[in-house]
Amino acid sequence: MKDMGLRKRAVALLDCSLVRFVLFVAVPFLFLVFCGLHPKSYVTGLVSTVGIYIVLASSLNLINGFSGMFSMGHAAFMAIGAYISAFLTLSESVKANECPALPDWLIHTQAPFAVALVAAGAAAALVAVLVSFTIIHTKGHYLSVVTLALIVVIRALIDNNDSITRGSRGLNGIQPLSTIPAVYLVVVVTLFVLYRTIRSAYGRGLISMRDDPVAAQTLGVNLTAKKISSFAISAFFAGLGGALWAHYLTAISGANFYFEKSFDIVEISIIGGMFSLSGAVLGAIFCTVLPEFFAPLENGLHIAGFRLPTFFGLSNIIMAALLVLLIIFHRQGIMGYSEIIVESWFSKETYTALFKKSEYGKVRSALAALFRGT
Amino acid sequence: MKKRKATVFLAAVLGVAVAAAGCGSNTGTTTAAPTSAAAQETTAPAASSEPIRIGGIFNVTGDQSSIDAPAQKGFDLAVDLINKAGGINGRLIEATSYDGQTDQAVCANNAKKLIEQDKVIAIGGLSDSDYAYAAGAVAQAAGIPIVFSGATTPDIPDTVGNYAFLTAFGDNTCAYATANFLFKTQGAKTVYVLIDDSMSYTTNLASYFIEHWKELGGEVVLEDHFKSGDYDFSAQIQRYLATGETDAMFISSGPDDASSIIQQFREGGATAPMISGDGWDSDLWGVAGDLANQDIYVGTHYATSDESDVVQNFIKAYNEKYGIDPENAFAALGYDCMMVLKKAIEDCGGDVTSANIRDKIEAIQGLQCVTGTISYSAESHVPAKSVVITKAEDNHLVFVENAASN
Repeated sequence: MKDMGLRKRAVALLDCSLVRFVLFVAVPFLFLVFCGLHPKSYVTGLVSTVGIYIVLASSLNLINGFSGMFSMGHAAFMAIGAYISAFLTLSESVKANECPALPDWLIHTQAPFAVALVAAGAAAALVAVLVSFTIIHTKGHYLSVVTLALIVVIRALIDNNDSITRGSRGLNGIQPLSTIPAVYLVVVVTLFVLYRTIRSAYGRGLISMRDDPVAAQTLGVNLTAKKISSFAISAFFAGLGGALWAHYLTAISGANFYFEKSFDIVEISIIGGMFSLSGAVLGAIFCTVLPEFFAPLENGLHIAGFRLPTFFGLSNIIMAALLVLLIIFHRQGIMGYSEIIVESWFSKETYTALFKKSEYGKVRSALAALFRGT
Repeated sequence: MKKRKATVFLAAVLGVAVAAAGCGSNTGTTTAAPTSAAAQETTAPAASSEPIRIGGIFNVTGDQSSIDAPAQKGFDLAVDLINKAGGINGRLIEATSYDGQTDQAVCANNAKKLIEQDKVIAIGGLSDSDYAYAAGAVAQAAGIPIVFSGATTPDIPDTVGNYAFLTAFGDNTCAYATANFLFKTQGAKTVYVLIDDSMSYTTNLASYFIEHWKELGGEVVLEDHFKSGDYDFSAQIQRYLATGETDAMFISSGPDDASSIIQQFREGGATAPMISGDGWDSDLWGVAGDLANQDIYVGTHYATSDESDVVQNFIKAYNEKYGIDPENAFAALGYDCMMVLKKAIEDCGGDVTSANIRDKIEAIQGLQCVTGTISYSAESHVPAKSVVITKAEDNHLVFVENAASN
């Protein structure tokens, strides 16, 4: 009983807009500013990776979580985005030497990063629309298999068009443009668009399609249009994610956009919670940062004078075990259906609360209640 | 209610995360860097009794593990031997290695972690260009020398920058040497080339081979392709036999497909000698059985049958530490990678800084290593080494000759 009381009081605290502001807006923002000021640091590297995975996992959630299709093809859209943005930002001389079969206008074009990003997303979305005509007739596992096939096709295209993509040698020397401001601007735009999409009439149509396609159709939801468009929106942001990825690592090749990459993104989406955009945020943080804590264990950590044996792969095993436990005990992922983080970002109350006296009072009483019990 | 439950769960998760963060920072306090600015200053001379911090990145899990795990072992062995012998100029080596997980992003972040948290002054490791580019860009930007143990793509140092070095010969060297061996020693004039399209290593190797073969005046009768993991080569064998047998076959593939290729081509009736690059230097012979003894050559980094002290001492030490012979040439390359760093640090004398180590690596001339004699120059950070041609006999690769690449 006492436990229930504590829970309720903790929840009451998270209900305060001011607490949400501090927890979900102010602290992360200050952290990002700190990272932005130390662009070469290791923490910044992790934070950039987290940001890219947020874009990828949240866009995957639109299909897998909200529209009830289960796509595994995100790596393919990433690859398209990565290559298109690389082609647009690489210098003319490099392209003329390394990718001679590119169309002339593309060789002579060197676009700003923002343009390259949009083009990357658009290209991925275009491919998604083309492919979606084959997937609208499939459901469940069959749809997953078709999207896996897409990864194989894209990989084959990349590996076999040597004079465009440099084949399996990959492209390198891509400019390192994925800085913290760039990555997190894309993160915020992605989450904002996806959040508004999900909360719109269109998004409710998607959710109804997921929950009961027959009922949704009788109520006038056009399933085909919904499937194709949601697939395209998701692919657009996956393309953006791929472009950020390319400009973060500066080297790409087809081999790195294969099954493993897709599985990584699906794993993040499931751990965080695929029915929630906030889940994608938390999942990305969790799956990127947690293995870093286990890294010292792999390397033979010194504990009280003893040196543990080195055990590479331990972090993979722990992550896998966590995934299994989560599936058994909390199937809907960490966040479940809650949208608390993203909702706090994009609702006015979070920011206006700063200027409301009553909000401060609310926090005080919630805090008081929390500590009275303990 | 659902929302409530999720919120509580979130709170619990955040709690765990914070606790984990606490633990993490506790274990890292000795090495944690306050700011990245401090990381820049790690190149400042340290007190001479302090250990020299060297970093390693190896993909010991994932697809790359069959070549990077032995490389990691070789690297660790070299560190052990150096420390047992009293270190370098009286200073011990403290090596920290991280698993790159065969993931470019993890490799890049690990390079950042080594430089900032572990304050390493040089990094070794990695056997594939994809990961070398990702980690190399980080090291180059931070001004930390990085010596790649097993990567063989010759343009890596040019792409990454002046802080990047290779331990192995470039694919061009390997391909030229095998072509020379076939043309000059074996007297072959016509050749069949089979290429695995799925790897940069195999496509590179084949294009260098074909280029040099034509320069020598040889003829490529048929060029055929496959993808790693196809397992069925009957179509390729049909095409090869339909064109007629050639004097030799150059097979550009990785270790995974070697046994299938050998077995199927030989059973299908192809009898010409087969030659491949260092990708075939592995324990594939057991799988291919007796067929492996039929005219199969591998151009690789060294032969375990080499009688020289450097090679035999390495094999003996490897056996003592791990209880097995080196699994493949990458073990020796991992070992040599550390030896290159050791030589450079030795030459630095009292002034052990990242920039100085870089200069001293570049100045290395005629360093006797397990995998040959290593020399660098300002123009080439790829060592000009000779390629060892070996022949498969009794399930082992036996030394045939040192083939020059020109």
